Amino acid sequence: MARFHPLKVTEVRRETRDAVVLTLAPRDEDRALFDFTQGQYLTFRRDFDGEELRRSYSICAGLDEGCLKVGIKRVDGGAFSTWANENLAPGDEIEAMPPMGRFFTPIEEASAKQYLGFAGGSGITPVLSIIKTVLAREPRSQFTLVYANRQINTIMFREELDDLKNEYLGRFSVIHVLEQEGQEIDLFTGRIDAEKMTALFQHWLDADSIDTAFICGPEPMMLAIAGSLKEHSLTDAQIKFELFASSQPGKAKTRAVSRDAIAPGAGTAATVTLDGATRSFEMARQGETILDAAIANNMDAPYSCKAGVCSTCRCKVVEGEVEMAINHALEDYEVRAGYVLSCQAYPVSHRVVVTYDE
Amino acid sequence: MSETMNIEDYLAQGGVLSAPGNVPARYRGELLRLMASFVDSELAASAGFADAINFAPGIKERIAASRITLEKADHAGRVLAVMGEFGTDMARYEAQHDWAARVARNADLGTARIGGDMRLSVLHYPITGWTDAVVLNVLQGLATGVQMTELTRVSYGPLADVFREIAPREARHAELGLEGLAQITATAEGREAARAALAYWRPRVEAGFGSLASARFDTLARFGLRHQTNQALLARWQDVANEKLAAFGL
Repeated sequence: MARFHPLKVTEVRRETRDAVVLTLAPRDEDRALFDFTQGQYLTFRRDFDGEELRRSYSICAGLDEGCLKVGIKRVDGGAFSTWANENLAPGDEIEAMPPMGRFFTPIEEASAKQYLGFAGGSGITPVLSIIKTVLAREPRSQFTLVYANRQINTIMFREELDDLKNEYLGRFSVIHVLEQEGQEIDLFTGRIDAEKMTALFQHWLDADSIDTAFICGPEPMMLAIAGSLKEHSLTDAQIKFELFASSQPGKAKTRAVSRDAIAPGAGTAATVTLDGATRSFEMARQGETILDAAIANNMDAPYSCKAGVCSTCRCKVVEGEVEMAINHALEDYEVRAGYVLSCQAYPVSHRVVVTYDE
Repeated sequence: MSETMNIEDYLAQGGVLSAPGNVPARYRGELLRLMASFVDSELAASAGFADAINFAPGIKERIAASRITLEKADHAGRVLAVMGEFGTDMARYEAQHDWAARVARNADLGTARIGGDMRLSVLHYPITGWTDAVVLNVLQGLATGVQMTELTRVSYGPLADVFREIAPREARHAELGLEGLAQITATAEGREAARAALAYWRPRVEAGFGSLASARFDTLARFGLRHQTNQALLARWQDVANEKLAAFGL
């Protein structure tokens, strides 16, 4: 199971009014663990008033920068991103899992490829890592970036992108699309939707020459771009996605626990929700798991190993109490939030309410 | 571009998810179930084919059987690594079942899975000899080829990537089977043995396409984890299998 390791914040740079770029250094003994591939992300965790929050942020450094950097844009109401923007300072430590993610294609020094990248807002972070790495390590490849933002002063890494254009003259170009600001060319104003994609392909982009396209942004933008790329004959394998998580898994809220002791052997009134349908039934308090009881009541609950190893059968206890016989898959913070492996969960209260939908 | 949409709508419109952190709970369950079924099937297939190495009549066939044994285990490992990112305890998972265990040759499992072992039911039956191994590999290999047209476009991007890497190698396994079958059916005696093996394996491989009235399909389709019905996939496999077998007079 992936483990968390401390990273030292060595620099906090304000990138825009509501975004910072953190430079992070692992401990010497963790250095190899934090070797990354361009386009990967780090998952951080922190306790906020006793509740553990986990958030993933893409690495925005190129492979040759010799350090880890992440860009964090403040989200309204977002505890983690607000804390990172307002409280983090050099010298602080932050816990992170080693880099993960597959938002990249292998670098081949000898190849001469045409890459096309689409980024929406802070979705630029992994794309920037890819751009820098490709330009430095594939000297014959070219990269075109279409970068969507609300307005000019919210553009992250604007200067850095300009510098890259100058450094890699003729190999890197950027098209800024701004939602709220008129530009000389109408095409570059507004949102990236199907219509705008069609126009981009008519006037600015040559679909036939593209080897790989990278898309990172919010859901509607990803759909519009992917749809258009496929219309222009790009295959699934040529399109790499990184969903810029608008809906990262919510707060790991600790659930209210009701503990009404009951006599051993008594039955339990179980209520199970799956795919929006709720079913209530009596189940044995001993010898029958929540999963088996749900299946016995004709619910198509997901499971695989039935041994507490794979976590396919994970569900959430919203009321009552259960006990897990074995848990090799869920982490402590998930358990604290009420998640259980239903194949290992036996009720220990009169009433138990679980859901597979949350 | 901060406008977002409901993740279920995004998936229903063909959206792709890219990390464990952005999958909804029900999607997670179905995705893990799909991966577990593939991993278990590949591990069981690899374990089953290990015996076929010693049934092989010559060096070339021995190498082919070894390669299939090796690569199916490798494919299981690649998909299990994706499960690991969701929290699956990989070391325990690998040792969870006796992947070489088989039921009696004349047992009838239908489409049933056994306990928490999610391998396709066909992979519970024992292989009895070289011709038997080749015929199973041809039929199941072609079935895998058809299934791969679904798996390579699942809506979980990192998994689709893995399947796209795996697909050509799985296709090669089926080709190795067809090469083996060409040798076997060169004689009348071989053709007869192949027919007997086909009669045994065909209904069992067919069962692997699952129930034709699967209630789960709608959920999976909404999640972008399935696109074509079991019925359509089965029909395609029958067409492909008929065509390939006809070439050998079977």
